[in-house]
Amino acid sequence: MLTNLLAAGTTVHPAVTTIFALLLVGLIACLAFEEKLHAKKSVIAGIFAIVSLLLGAALDILPFQKTVVGSHLLEKHSSVVGEYDEEDHFVHVEIPATDAHDVQSAADAETPDPYAESHAEHPLHVDGHEVGMPVYIPAIEWGVIAIILGSSLFVDVTSKTGLFTWIAIRVTKASRGDPLILLVSYSVMTVVFSAVLNNVTAMIIVGSLTVVSLEKLDRRQQLLGFLLVEAFLTNVGGLLTLISSVPNIIVGTTAGISFVEFFVKASPYVLLSTALTIWLGARLFKIGRLATEQERANAAALVDSFDENDGIESWGFFYFGAAMLGLFIVTIALTSHLPYIRDLEMGFVAMMFAGVMLLRYKSEVDQFYRRIDWDLLGFFVFLFVVIYTMEHALVLQTIGNGLQWVLRDITAETANPLDATIVLIGSAVFSSVTDNIPLAAMLANILKSLGTPSSSGLWWSVIFGANLGGNLTPIGSASTLVAVTLMHKHKVPMSFVGFVKMAIPYAAMQITLAVIYVLVVFVLLGL
Amino acid sequence: MARNCARQDRRHPEDLMTQMTGSGLQIRERFVGQRCFKRVSRARRIRSRLGTGAYLRYVHGMTEIDQFESVFKAADKTPFAYESVAIGTVLIVTDVDATRTRELGESAAEFLRVLGTDVRWKFVGGDDFSGVSNLLEEVESHRPDLICTYRNLRIPAVDFPHSLGVYVDVLTQATTTPVLLLPHVDLADSKLRLQRGTQSVMAITDHLTGDQHLVSYAAKLTGQEGNLWLTHVEDEAVFERYMATISKIASIDTDTAREEIRHQLLKEPLDYIRSCREVLAQLEKSIEIQESVTLGHHLTDYRRLVEEHNIDLLVMNTKDEDQLAMHGIAYPLSVELRDLPLLLL
Repeated sequence: MLTNLLAAGTTVHPAVTTIFALLLVGLIACLAFEEKLHAKKSVIAGIFAIVSLLLGAALDILPFQKTVVGSHLLEKHSSVVGEYDEEDHFVHVEIPATDAHDVQSAADAETPDPYAESHAEHPLHVDGHEVGMPVYIPAIEWGVIAIILGSSLFVDVTSKTGLFTWIAIRVTKASRGDPLILLVSYSVMTVVFSAVLNNVTAMIIVGSLTVVSLEKLDRRQQLLGFLLVEAFLTNVGGLLTLISSVPNIIVGTTAGISFVEFFVKASPYVLLSTALTIWLGARLFKIGRLATEQERANAAALVDSFDENDGIESWGFFYFGAAMLGLFIVTIALTSHLPYIRDLEMGFVAMMFAGVMLLRYKSEVDQFYRRIDWDLLGFFVFLFVVIYTMEHALVLQTIGNGLQWVLRDITAETANPLDATIVLIGSAVFSSVTDNIPLAAMLANILKSLGTPSSSGLWWSVIFGANLGGNLTPIGSASTLVAVTLMHKHKVPMSFVGFVKMAIPYAAMQITLAVIYVLVVFVLLGL
Repeated sequence: MARNCARQDRRHPEDLMTQMTGSGLQIRERFVGQRCFKRVSRARRIRSRLGTGAYLRYVHGMTEIDQFESVFKAADKTPFAYESVAIGTVLIVTDVDATRTRELGESAAEFLRVLGTDVRWKFVGGDDFSGVSNLLEEVESHRPDLICTYRNLRIPAVDFPHSLGVYVDVLTQATTTPVLLLPHVDLADSKLRLQRGTQSVMAITDHLTGDQHLVSYAAKLTGQEGNLWLTHVEDEAVFERYMATISKIASIDTDTAREEIRHQLLKEPLDYIRSCREVLAQLEKSIEIQESVTLGHHLTDYRRLVEEHNIDLLVMNTKDEDQLAMHGIAYPLSVELRDLPLLLL
C-alpha cells in the first residue's frame, strides 16, 4: 500500500502528516495508560479510528474509489488500445497482444520487451464489476482477524474436551510432587501451551494448576517464584511458532516467513532461554529437590490424588479433540505447501477447524461465541483502520525516514549488527510500557514499505523485541498481568515496582540472549 | 474514614475490593497508584455502571482464572485410606443381672461373629455400677475397644420413648470408645434379629467424603460376602434455601447454579465411594460396596433405605468436637429405629 502511494507520488501537506502523527502518539499513550483510563483496548482504538477516518475524509487523503470485484485476469488476448477514463481525464493505454507465458519470458529475457513491464503492471481484467466498499473495509487485514478468531474458537472448544487439563494433571503427577521437577514440568508446559494456545490461556491453565497443586503440597511460600517463572516463559513460548503470538502473526505474515521456517529459526532460542529462565528462577527462589525419601513419598501421595479424568465428559470427544489439535498444528505448519489450502491461507485453516469442532456443540454454539475476546478482535480491526489512515497521511513514511536516519542499512539482505540490536532493544522497551501489537503492526508496515528483504534479521529483531519486552513490567503483556492477578487473588503481595525489580534479571537475560542469538544466527551466519 | 481505609489498604490492598465485590481484587487500580478512597469511589462508579457481574469480568481474565481453578480443584479428589480397626476387647454393659448379661453377650458375639474368636468379652451388669460416673469408671478400668449396650439403660423405655437415656448419652459423648446399641433385651425378637449377623451394613452421613473412620469401621463389621452400603443424603431443605437465595441474585443464573451445585454436591461422595471400593478391593475384603447418594430428607431417606435393603447394622458418627452429631441425625435415628443395631462412632 505504502509502496503504491510512493510510486504514485502522493503528496500530503506536512501539517496533515503532523496531525496524524500526533493522533498515533495519542493512541499509543492511551494504550499505555489503558488501566488508568479504565477503557478497553477496542474502545480506545475505536475512538482513534473514528477520528482518523473523519479527519482523513475532511483532509481528502483517503481513496474513496469503487472497488472492482469478480474480474478475471486475461492470460491471452490481442493488442488493446484505448482511452482510460480516470475521473474525467482520459489516459491513453496500449496493452500489446501476448499471453502470460510471453510476459514472464519477456521479463526474464536479457533484452526485455519494452511493453512487458507495463503489461505486468497493468494486466487486463475482464468481466468485473464495481462495488461501493467503505474505505475502512479493505484497510483491515482480514487474514489476521480470521487466524485470531478461528484459533481462539478452536482452542476454546478443544479445551472443553478436557485435553489441556488432562495433560496438566498428568504432568503434575509425573513430577511426583517434587518442587524442582514441578517447576521444570510447569515451565516446559507453559512454553508448549503458549506456543499452541495463546499466552493468556496458557498462563491461566498453568497458573491455576500451580496454585491448586502448591496448596495441596503445602508449598504456598513458593507460589511467587512459580508464577513469575511461568509468566516470563509465556512470552518465551510465544516465540516458538508463527501463530503463538499476535506480533508473530503480523510480522511473520508481512515478512513472508512460513510456519516451518519460523519454528526452525526460533526454537533454538526458545529452548535455551527456557532452560536459563528455569535455572535462574530455581536459584533466585531457592526451589530445590526434596531431601528425604519420606518427603518424596508424601508429596507423591498428595499429587496422586488428582484425577486427570475428572473433567472429561466424553472419551470419544477427548480423543477427537486430541486428534484435531494434532491435525490443526500439522495443517497450519503445511499451509503454504498444501494444494487449495495455500490459496485460502492460515485464517481459513483456523476457521475451518473451529467450525468442525463446533459441530459437537451445534445447538449451543452461542456459549462459545460469547467467550470470544471481542475486545481483542475489535482492537485489531480499529488498529488496522488507524494504521491505514496513517499510511495515507504519510506518517509511516515519515517514521520510516526517521528509522532510515537512525539505522545504517534497512534494505540489506543481511541486517547490520547495530541496526538489529537497536531495533530489538527499542522494540522491547516500547513493548514493556505499551501494547506490542501496534508496534508490531507499525514496524512491519514500515519495514515492508522500505523494502526490507525477508531474509533480513530486522524482522526477527522486531519479533523478539515485541515478545520479550512484555516481561519487563506487569502491564507489558497480558500473561504477566494474569500472573499478577493470580498472585493478588491468593494474597501474594506484589507491587508494580516490586514486579519490575524481580523481572529485571529475567528480562535482561532473555533480551541479551535474544540480541546475541539474532546477531549470530541472522547477521553473522545469515540464516 | 479515608485514613482508615488507606491504612487497611497498605496491609491488604485487595481487601477493599473484595469487600465491595465479594470476590477477587482490582489489580488495575493498584497499578495506577491512586489513593484508597479514590479507588473505592471509582470502583463503585464502575460497578454501578456495569453491574457486579460485568465488573468482576472487567478484571482481566478473572472469570477464566476462576474457571480453571475450579476444574483443578474438582480434579483434586479425597482418596480413601483404610484405617486399621482393632477390636480385641468388647465390653457388654447392661442393667440386668449377670445371667441375662451373659446371654446378651452370647447374642452380641453371634451378631459380631465377623470379628472372629479372638475377642475378649467383658461384662458390666446392673449390679456393677450405681451411677453415671461409676459406669464411666468401670468402662475406663476395662479399656474396651467396643462397648455393647442398649437404649434406655436403667430408664424405662415406656416412660421415655423418645430418649436413649442418660447413660447411653454419656457413653457416646464422654468416652472415645465406639458404642454398639443393640435392641433392648426385653424386645421379643431381639435374639432372632442378632442371629442374622452383619451381612448388610449401612454407613450413613451427610458428609461421606474423607470420612475414612466411618467407612473403615463399617467395612470391618460387614460380614464375609456381605453388603456394605455407603450412603450420603444431602439435606434438600438446606439446598432449596440456598437456591431460593440464588434465585434472587440477578448475576447468577439460577437454573445453571441449581444443576451445577447439585451435580457437584453428589459427585464428591460418589467419587469417594469409588475410591473406597478400589482400596477395599485391593485389601481383598470380600464385601460388596453398594452406594446411595441422594438429595433428600435425612430421617425419611435413611429409614427408607434401611427398610428397602434389610439393613442389619447402621453405622454413624456421634462423636465430634462440637458434639453436634447427637443433636443432628444420629439421635432421632437412634430413637426412631429402636430395634435396629446401631454403631455410634
